[in-house]
Amino acid sequence: MTAAIETIGLGKQYRRTWALRGCTLAIPEGRVVGLVGPNGAGKTTLLGLAAGMLAPTCGTISVLGEPPAAGPAQLGRVGYVAQDTPAYARMRVADHLRLGAWLNPGWDGELAGRRVAQIGLDPKQRAGSLSGGQRAQLALTLALAKRPELLLLDEPVASLDPLARREFLRGLMEAVAEHNTSVVLSSHLVTDLERVCDYLIVLVASQVRIAGEVGELLASHRRLSGPRRDPGTLPAGQAVVEESHTDKQSTLLVRTDEPVLDPAWTVTPVGMEELVLAYMNPANDIPARRPRLGVAS
Amino acid sequence: MIRLTWLQFRTQAVTAAAALAAFAALLAATGPHLASLYAASGLSGCHGGGCQNLAGSFEAQVQSTGIDAALYVIGLGIILLAPAVIGLFWGAPLIARELETGTSALAWNQSVTRTRWLAVKLTVIGLTAMAVTEGLSLMQAWWAAPLGRAAGLGAPAGALIQGRFTQLIFASHGITPLGYAAFAFALGVTAGALIRRTIPAMAVTLAVFAALQIAMPLWIRPHFAPADRTVIATSPGNEAGGATGPGGDTLTLVATSLPGQPGAWILSSGPVNAAGQPVSTVPAACTASSIENNLPDFDGCLTSQGVREAISYQPASRYWPFQWAETALYLALALALVGYCFRRLNRRRS
Repeated sequence: MTAAIETIGLGKQYRRTWALRGCTLAIPEGRVVGLVGPNGAGKTTLLGLAAGMLAPTCGTISVLGEPPAAGPAQLGRVGYVAQDTPAYARMRVADHLRLGAWLNPGWDGELAGRRVAQIGLDPKQRAGSLSGGQRAQLALTLALAKRPELLLLDEPVASLDPLARREFLRGLMEAVAEHNTSVVLSSHLVTDLERVCDYLIVLVASQVRIAGEVGELLASHRRLSGPRRDPGTLPAGQAVVEESHTDKQSTLLVRTDEPVLDPAWTVTPVGMEELVLAYMNPANDIPARRPRLGVAS
Repeated sequence: MIRLTWLQFRTQAVTAAAALAAFAALLAATGPHLASLYAASGLSGCHGGGCQNLAGSFEAQVQSTGIDAALYVIGLGIILLAPAVIGLFWGAPLIARELETGTSALAWNQSVTRTRWLAVKLTVIGLTAMAVTEGLSLMQAWWAAPLGRAAGLGAPAGALIQGRFTQLIFASHGITPLGYAAFAFALGVTAGALIRRTIPAMAVTLAVFAALQIAMPLWIRPHFAPADRTVIATSPGNEAGGATGPGGDTLTLVATSLPGQPGAWILSSGPVNAAGQPVSTVPAACTASSIENNLPDFDGCLTSQGVREAISYQPASRYWPFQWAETALYLALALALVGYCFRRLNRRRS
């Protein structure tokens, strides 16, 4: 099974600043992958590189086993919706669909028409007068109707109100389930991803802090609270992700593959948001354990 | 891709077609009047020196109606401005606006490579730009043909009757408008790709194009072929003139036409002595004010003192070689810019 996106030492430099540097990761195929990280972590740059919008300064990237935007066929296999969900302001909605039909041999006109009707877009309306949510839906429709194998969505819901957000994600999930498309969507808000992703990558300062199946990640993390204790005294199998102490009490977030047996601890499961925030917090010195990248074998 | 290009370009194309049609209607409505003035002037059957007087009265008649003279100037102005307008409004936004509005992410992520996207856009819009400009030029050349014929008959240069090598006419007739249009368009596209913002790209396009259009007739075009040189006797027709300056009378001679070489492009002219060396002061024998104030006497005095007029020029027969050379130069520049755009679009990505 090839990876949807595989990068080795990938970097992108703008004049003096590095937007992405030394990024090595593998994003599995056939999943809905959430790419989470704080602003400036390099999510947009990574997706731009994967879509072939940007050229890397160093390192390599392959998308579905080929260099990004290598040719018309490769371009057709990848759908990309950029952060601001662009559309030609002076072109009508129907013109955008014609654009898609003209430029993509694999265009699914029926799907595009159905989606536009479902969303309630007026084909005669100019894209410039659409609301942010409608424009995002139009951009998603264009990307979906290409019938891509991989869909890259860069903060697609960032500018939408909660209702439009739910609509957008629901539409996305329906289409993805129907055609078994791989999806990578980025966000700096975990709550957006919680409902849709089955795989999670936390990217902080170009580095993968943690990556894995959502279920496995949740199962392998625990919150421990109990009498104050030095985290150094924990058993070898328990790696501390986050710790906080009061005079009497210690609260730890640990990663462990084994059950916590110490009766001194009150053990509670961890939610996705809590988990992601712990990994995103730069104050937390995450144990040097290679993230399990990965393509499930 | 051609259909998309048409869809996105049709507003501009329709505007250009409307402008062409309006220009054509204006010229078609006024052209016959100019032609009838020419027919009535008797220029078509004249011979030798008589033509000059006929041409002079023809020009005076054209001038007197006012409207024809104005149309002539406006027509030339439109042809000269068209490439710049095309470079600004068709060239500069082509890539810059896509980058500025983020629609490049839409355009370049369909199943069409950037190379093909750019190739189709450049071809369709670039060829339209060239056709529009050359169309304007051909229509105006048809309209102004009587004036051109009058100039060709050796008429003295006036405000309206000017040789084909005159900057305004050389740059607006013939095939040079094709080269200007292609170059200005390519320049706009390149500036947009480099600067990535439409308005600054437009400003740069205008500045560079204007600079080249000024530099071309001043410093580049005269050197397409080595200039011919000749030395002739000074005569009133060659505008001999003395001027009194501090520390002696300075002598300048400005030739506007060359006997026996109608339509030649005179690059420089000035007085030389019998040995062929340039002189800059009026010979002492000719400085008396009674001589200086009478042009034929002054010329005679200069001749008797051995002063003649040296002229370097391009003969009229080089008009078409120069047209081809200039057009080829601009087309080559345009191709170089286009080649750079392709490389940049693929290498730098967005």
